[in-house]
Amino acid sequence: MFGKRTWWLTGVAALGLLAVGCNGGATAGGGGESGGGESGDEILLGLVASQNGDLKPWGDDSVRGAQLAVDQANLAGGIDGKKIRLVIQDSNSDATQGKSAAEKLASDGVVTLLGEVASSITEVMADVAVEKGLPLIAVGATKTTITTKGDNIFRVCYTDDLQGPVMAKFAYDDLGLRNVAIITDNKQAYSKYLSETFRKHFESLGGKIVGEEFYESGAVNFAGQVTKLAQASPEGVFLSGYFNEVGPLAKAIRGAGMTDAKLLGGDGWDSREILQSGGDAIVGGYFCNHYNSQEDRPEVKDFLAKFNDAYGAEPGTTMGALAFDAAALAIDAMKRLAAEGKEINRENMTAAIGSTMDFKGVSGSITLEGMGGNPPKRALIVELTREGQVPAKSYEAAEVLGS
Amino acid sequence: MGLELYLPLVAAGPDFSTLPQQLTNGLILGSIYALIALGYTMVYGVLRLINFAHGEVYMLGAYTALLVSWAFGFAPTSPGDPKASVLVLAVMLLASMVVCAAVGAVIEYLAYRPMRKQSRISALITAIGVSLLLQYGGALFLPASPPPTISGKVDPFASIATLTLSPPPADLVDAEEAARAELAARETSLEQTMEAEGVRNQFDLSPEGKEVLQAKQAAEREVNRTAGAVETGSITIKLPQNRLVILGTVVGLMAALWFLVMKTKTGRSMRAASHDFESASLMGINVNRVVSITFMIGSALAGAGAMMNATFTGTSLTTFYGLLPGVKAFVAAVLGGIGNIPGAVLGGLIMGLAEELSVWAGFSGYKDAVAFIILIVVLLFRPGGLLGSSKVEKV
Repeated sequence: MFGKRTWWLTGVAALGLLAVGCNGGATAGGGGESGGGESGDEILLGLVASQNGDLKPWGDDSVRGAQLAVDQANLAGGIDGKKIRLVIQDSNSDATQGKSAAEKLASDGVVTLLGEVASSITEVMADVAVEKGLPLIAVGATKTTITTKGDNIFRVCYTDDLQGPVMAKFAYDDLGLRNVAIITDNKQAYSKYLSETFRKHFESLGGKIVGEEFYESGAVNFAGQVTKLAQASPEGVFLSGYFNEVGPLAKAIRGAGMTDAKLLGGDGWDSREILQSGGDAIVGGYFCNHYNSQEDRPEVKDFLAKFNDAYGAEPGTTMGALAFDAAALAIDAMKRLAAEGKEINRENMTAAIGSTMDFKGVSGSITLEGMGGNPPKRALIVELTREGQVPAKSYEAAEVLGS
Repeated sequence: MGLELYLPLVAAGPDFSTLPQQLTNGLILGSIYALIALGYTMVYGVLRLINFAHGEVYMLGAYTALLVSWAFGFAPTSPGDPKASVLVLAVMLLASMVVCAAVGAVIEYLAYRPMRKQSRISALITAIGVSLLLQYGGALFLPASPPPTISGKVDPFASIATLTLSPPPADLVDAEEAARAELAARETSLEQTMEAEGVRNQFDLSPEGKEVLQAKQAAEREVNRTAGAVETGSITIKLPQNRLVILGTVVGLMAALWFLVMKTKTGRSMRAASHDFESASLMGINVNRVVSITFMIGSALAGAGAMMNATFTGTSLTTFYGLLPGVKAFVAAVLGGIGNIPGAVLGGLIMGLAEELSVWAGFSGYKDAVAFIILIVVLLFRPGGLLGSSKVEKV
């Protein structure tokens, strides 16, 4: 019907092909404050969080949790009379912007960097941290290999080397599943690695992976994938992606006729929104988490009370607790340096954080001394009910990996 | 280890009993792409402008559906337990179409009309600007965090419709029924054991209780195995009814569009304007009105697609909700020959089918790439798209 310039359209097509690799992301400049470099009377602590974009529920909780730990330390007199200031940069749920956020904080003069939750963002932040000699404490990044990038990379959460096997053991031993399918988010390093560790452990226990399908973050149509998996009639489906897609995926799984299959996942499920988007389809699913607000430990009760005082509600995700732990652990290292009369700089902070022994965190005890940045943690399996998360079973690291 | 596992999967390869189901999936997905692609193609046909803000109009359609559903009491915080009804869905659909039509007309009037006399690249950049404005500006006043979802309760069409093309053998069905009866018995004895032991969490049972639990789990596996045998022994198409609603609505809207473009006076003036904009205006056609109507129709179709997709899949909404569907639909329009209305429908269907068939063939990780590769190959041989003409334009 109409003529057009062919070279132009071919060019657009090629651009479209490129866009497969980088769609869905957002491209806003990270707003926020710019810390005033080295301050004489303040110690700067940096936090990178997803204050915008898909992972905003986690980013918001990260900011609240870390700020709470800093405020408490300042109320208690700070470090040697100096106040701690939390400098926050937005990663916009995007790895590229996470990297510039980390670079900005490094040039602002922070002594320690906290964040992120997503492994793909934390991975590039770790590159910056290694380059600048800046200690990094990851809040919720569970991809195992992140801490091998350097001696100054730490985390307060468990790794996928625990999470995948825990869910595999739970599926095999406790739920009695033998044939399980996997659905992986091809765009998330976290999801790919978690699927891999789950697969390995489930097979070593004697189970069978009857199929694996893929999607990309931001996808809304899963009809093809679930049709294919339904044909293999799995007893359970392991969904290793994030909550944004897992909810609609659960609906698609039920819609394809897999009405009885048990749904399993990792800590990527953790948010209240998943019950909204998944509805009845996701109820009865199990996933691996870091702690639960119904636990009796004094650290948990104290944290929840203070969080409630400060923000008028409990944290919507576990990232509130993990970010609190990350900040509190950094502050604990500062206190130890101050007590020994050492200067609080990046090098000393790296050593002090690395020698943390049995730090009582909200998410359990954290020991980093001699651990290569990965604290041995406890994994908690929770069931999703209409009312929220209910603890089902917990595993110590040794129970799963020791045997 | 990985190899041994992957090989049988790949060797088993395409499995023809799911082909009818996958073709249906592709058709439905493609029909939504086509619906959005129509907006791109109609605007291009009349103005030679690629309306990059079309994806954002789609996003606003999804938000309109969300807000209307909230107004009917389907918000997560609202009290009571409203019942799903077709009427609510119809109001949501209508509201999305009307709001999108208005937004489309306003965008055209404020952003594109002043640029009409400028070079085409300026209009293109304006379109990108409008797109970014709506993505980031929308986040200021639309609920985007935490990303809201249209409640599944609003959907009365959630149950699964099954079309049996070839029934399973009777003995397999009997085996499944026997297994289900066995499971029901095991479940009862597990409940009794849990009551007797006084535990509420099945993972806290005593070793004896665990045996009862394991017996129940073995029965579950048997049910699953027999149900799977029934599944593979038959050829069926399973669809949640709402996807049939999508297909029906899309077909209805396209028929209405065909009637409007081919049979009405407005449609004739649209065709005239797309044939030669200047001459059409000289012949007494009010081209400004034609352009406004074109934008309104294209945007209303996107709004309908957005409402149905957002309501029936339950995806969380952000202001970037229209980004990916926008790109896909644009590609569909180019594939079919941008500016050509049947071409947009054809392009959308090809895209949808290509995606689902690559999943069917076992390449779900590459399904987006496959669609783009098809586009590049088509453009190499038919630079104007499948149904487009490729005459070189004088500049």
